[in-house]
Amino acid sequence: MKKFSVLMIIALLGAALLTACAPAETVTVIETVIVEKEGETIIETVEKEVEVPSKTLVLDSEMFSPPAEQIFFIDEILKPFEEETGITVTFQIVKGEDMFDRLTAQQATGHVTTDMILAFNGRFAWYTDEGWMGSLDETVNTWDDRSILPAFDGQAVVDGTRYFVPISADVYLTIANNKALDYLPVGADMDNLTYEQYADWAVAIAAGENEGKVCMTGIPMKMWIYQFSSSALAYGLPGAGNPEPAFPNLNAPQTVKAWEQWAKIGAGDGFMPTILSVDNCVDFLMREEAWLSVTHNARVGQVYASNETQFTVGPAPMGDTAIGSIAGAHGLGIVEDSANVEAALLLLEYLTRPEIQLKMNKGTGGFLPVVAEALDYLGDDPTDEIIRKALIVLDNANGSFLPVSDFQDWGAVKQLFDDVFSEMVLNGDGTIDQALLDAKQVALEALRK
Amino acid sequence: MASTFKPLIKASRRTMFYLFVVSITVMIITPLFFLISLSFLSTDASYSYPLPLLPSLSENYELTTGERGYLLSLEQRNGEYKTMLDTDDMEKMAVYMKTRLSTPISIPELEELTARVDHEGTVYFKRRSDLLNNYYTFFQITRDAGPAFIRSLQIAGMTILISLSIGGLAGYAFARYTFIGKNLLKFSTLFVRMFPAIAIALPMVIILAKMGFYDQPIGLSLVYSIGSIALTIWITSSIFMGIPESLEEAAQVFGATKFQAFLRVTFPLALPGLAAAAMYAFLGAWNETVSAIILTQFNPTFSVVVYQSLVGATGQVNLAAAGGMVMAIPSVIFTFFIRRYIRQMWGGMTI
Amino acid sequence: MALAINTERRRKIGKQIVPYLLVLPVLFYYIAFWARPVVQQLVQSFTSLEGQFTLNNYIMVFTDLNFLPALRNTSIIVVFSVTLEFFIALLLALLINRKFPGSGIFLFLTMIPMALPAVAVGALWKTGLTTNGWINSLLTYLGILTEGGKIYWLAGSIWKLLALMIIIDAWQVIPSIMIILLAGLQNIPKETEEAGYVFGGNYFTVLRKITLPLLSSTIQTAVILRLIAAIQIWLIVIVIVGFSRMPVLVERIVYYHEEVPRLTISPAMASGYTIIVTIIVSIAALAYLWVSGAFRRKRKEV
Repeated sequence: MKKFSVLMIIALLGAALLTACAPAETVTVIETVIVEKEGETIIETVEKEVEVPSKTLVLDSEMFSPPAEQIFFIDEILKPFEEETGITVTFQIVKGEDMFDRLTAQQATGHVTTDMILAFNGRFAWYTDEGWMGSLDETVNTWDDRSILPAFDGQAVVDGTRYFVPISADVYLTIANNKALDYLPVGADMDNLTYEQYADWAVAIAAGENEGKVCMTGIPMKMWIYQFSSSALAYGLPGAGNPEPAFPNLNAPQTVKAWEQWAKIGAGDGFMPTILSVDNCVDFLMREEAWLSVTHNARVGQVYASNETQFTVGPAPMGDTAIGSIAGAHGLGIVEDSANVEAALLLLEYLTRPEIQLKMNKGTGGFLPVVAEALDYLGDDPTDEIIRKALIVLDNANGSFLPVSDFQDWGAVKQLFDDVFSEMVLNGDGTIDQALLDAKQVALEALRK
Repeated sequence: MASTFKPLIKASRRTMFYLFVVSITVMIITPLFFLISLSFLSTDASYSYPLPLLPSLSENYELTTGERGYLLSLEQRNGEYKTMLDTDDMEKMAVYMKTRLSTPISIPELEELTARVDHEGTVYFKRRSDLLNNYYTFFQITRDAGPAFIRSLQIAGMTILISLSIGGLAGYAFARYTFIGKNLLKFSTLFVRMFPAIAIALPMVIILAKMGFYDQPIGLSLVYSIGSIALTIWITSSIFMGIPESLEEAAQVFGATKFQAFLRVTFPLALPGLAAAAMYAFLGAWNETVSAIILTQFNPTFSVVVYQSLVGATGQVNLAAAGGMVMAIPSVIFTFFIRRYIRQMWGGMTI
Repeated sequence: MALAINTERRRKIGKQIVPYLLVLPVLFYYIAFWARPVVQQLVQSFTSLEGQFTLNNYIMVFTDLNFLPALRNTSIIVVFSVTLEFFIALLLALLINRKFPGSGIFLFLTMIPMALPAVAVGALWKTGLTTNGWINSLLTYLGILTEGGKIYWLAGSIWKLLALMIIIDAWQVIPSIMIILLAGLQNIPKETEEAGYVFGGNYFTVLRKITLPLLSSTIQTAVILRLIAAIQIWLIVIVIVGFSRMPVLVERIVYYHEEVPRLTISPAMASGYTIIVTIIVSIAALAYLWVSGAFRRKRKEV
């Protein structure tokens, strides 16, 4: 009996081995191709044997990863494109760092199978620095029916050449569970909220519920610098590239005004008790562990969609000068060595069409279209409202790009902000420790190249 | 006197023993129970507190006129109704009821209900829950799950084959022979496990791709075997060491060749160790994504397609649980079979 | 006569070569698939940005603010989790080896946690440890928490998080240690243990004097493999508390590889940490083997 099972296992393994060693597949496919014949374009079906990899356009994406967004993007956006052009799009979700590794391996070995990437703007430089992306100028310059928002050109255009086209933007919005509205300070209004009111609100909720209810994305390591600096920008801190003090800054008068608000929340125990472990507020807002958050509009859209009757959305809070926000975007780039550049350019053209822009950004939960003309298509259902509020932020925001390359170690810069967060905000008594801020600013200056 | 108590003592000892076994089982099972239960819950239920122990089989709804159209509310466990959606778009409501609440409904049915709302005001209705909704959704977004599944099985099989053959031989050598440099050699085989594999995942994949394995996932078993060879060496050598050499010698006395003696006597006794090593190799290969995601494009492994489906599944932890369950099934089945070899009786009987 | 000696010697030499032949495929395998990237990492760790030899990378790692906390956290996890996991695994293995009715299914159940993929483990503990999660729900149902009462599992000191991490890791890892020990237990002849009882030993003396000594090489294997893996723990830490909240050594490598791969210092930090981790693991493994007596001449088989 035992001998028999052993033999069985060995046989199974052997079979696995044999099938595994089978040669690479080629398949016969019926392909729909557009053929130009005597001046007219007709669609023909051709039967031919091809190696699988060569017939499809591969789009690697770190965006649209939530399952609902994947389904919508594939079924409602890509499918019409495939029907229109006959091109099959293989859409693959990959995390940002994995996508970079993928391309590294492909470039190092010459197997360029990824034709097109949809990446976060903070990572555009990874690819342009390596010189892997092809220029998109030739195509983009021919577009006269659409104007791409120039906010992200700082990363998408390098030395006058465009390598990426942003297709979705992300700004901060405020989202509140309706249970929190009972505590909204007198005179405050979600559509014109200030950071003072936000702080008072957070403290009032904590006092009333005996539990802090403010959530922030990516405390401590990844995002606090962005969340905080948005508020500092709202109090008039100039964006990066301006004369000092400018973003990133820890101790300027404008920055201190922002610290005061956050310190007030901390002193009133307004933050969720587990705030230091929170990576993404979506789950916590849905579980009602958090009632109040300023977070990215797509994530706000995700929470809002879970129960529209339970949440209220507004723009990011204002400081005394503006709404502050560090905007992010995701953009398309085409790998220079790709064998399917033409197909990729067709997809790029398709995804930036104003009506597709709105359909895509809306359907995937409330991203912000980056083609100005797309906004003509805005309606008035709840998701349109979110987009409209995000637009208010984008229009009124004092923004900044991320001067990552000015510093030896951006991780260390982020750490300085986190140190202040845990020492002065979370565990502080609400007062400003100017000496601490000055010391951290000295450390920050030391990190400059 | 004592003899009358003996059965009693024995029985109470036995009870204590089983009580102990049961309490350990409970500790292991409780998290698993919640994981399984979570994979059947609707999104709304999986974010409620306290979390329901079991999925509900049906949901009670209230439909009435709302500000934007029709207001849908869901009955909570305390009998109160919680507002869920306010819209005049019946397609949206149907999608919402399927994806968020796991109670599929057709648009005509909804229209019938709204017609009643127009007449009667508020309507109450009940819908059956689709308990498998998360699993359907998982397979809907996980494209090419079938071929990827087969591929991953092949990779796992190959990994077992490579690591057991190469590692088993070396393990036997370390157990049975004394030779110069033995300790050093045996120790250095462990280096592959001491060096953080995550640090060299990318260069290893590049080597594979240069060998012609780009998008040929079976090549991954070459990389996966590295770690499990080391494991196999150590596990098998410790097992071989425990098998008295005298048994083999006895067989040889009865006329068997050394190889026959090994095959007939030592090998069956070493099966538990080989099974444990195979278990490690299988799990390592089945669950790995870091290298697989870089190497494959058109022919992903199962772990890669699951990763692609679930990497962004924030706000849908019930879906992640369902996907995790699907991915665990082959490992659990493998565990079920391998356990017989890990725990065979002395003398080679399996139960 | 001369010929006979010759064959004798040849056989002897042949016998000496056999073990090397059996080990050779392993060495070839490692050289073919593994050695080059490792050497590259080693070289990288001594190379400055300008391509010169430098020790600066190591200085950077040692002066990294996260290095000492990472070393401390890792050491705590290793000491407690290896000890805890080993003893529970041994207990379970001895238990299952008694082959009581239902022990087969008990073995199967105890093995399931090791079969779970990372995505399931992530979903399980994230929904468990969150404040409105299943653990607090369960405690509420059981009446341990009063209505509205909550335990903030993920708030508070690093020590609490370390303890949680050790328990969660144990839940998943114990089966993998147990199956090695159980495999070893299968090879201890029942007669030997029975002899122990005949000579008046009770369960514990037989265990201590007969079973455990016979199991020693298996125990060494189980512990050494676990020790090596425990020093390199990172995934569960990231899944539950994210990067940098509770630094551990290999988490630092992953951080520089995945979170901030394009910083100027990242390759240096990653390779520096990698080599340092390797050295720490090697020393720990050697120390363990030394203490446990693996290098002593093996006594003759029973």
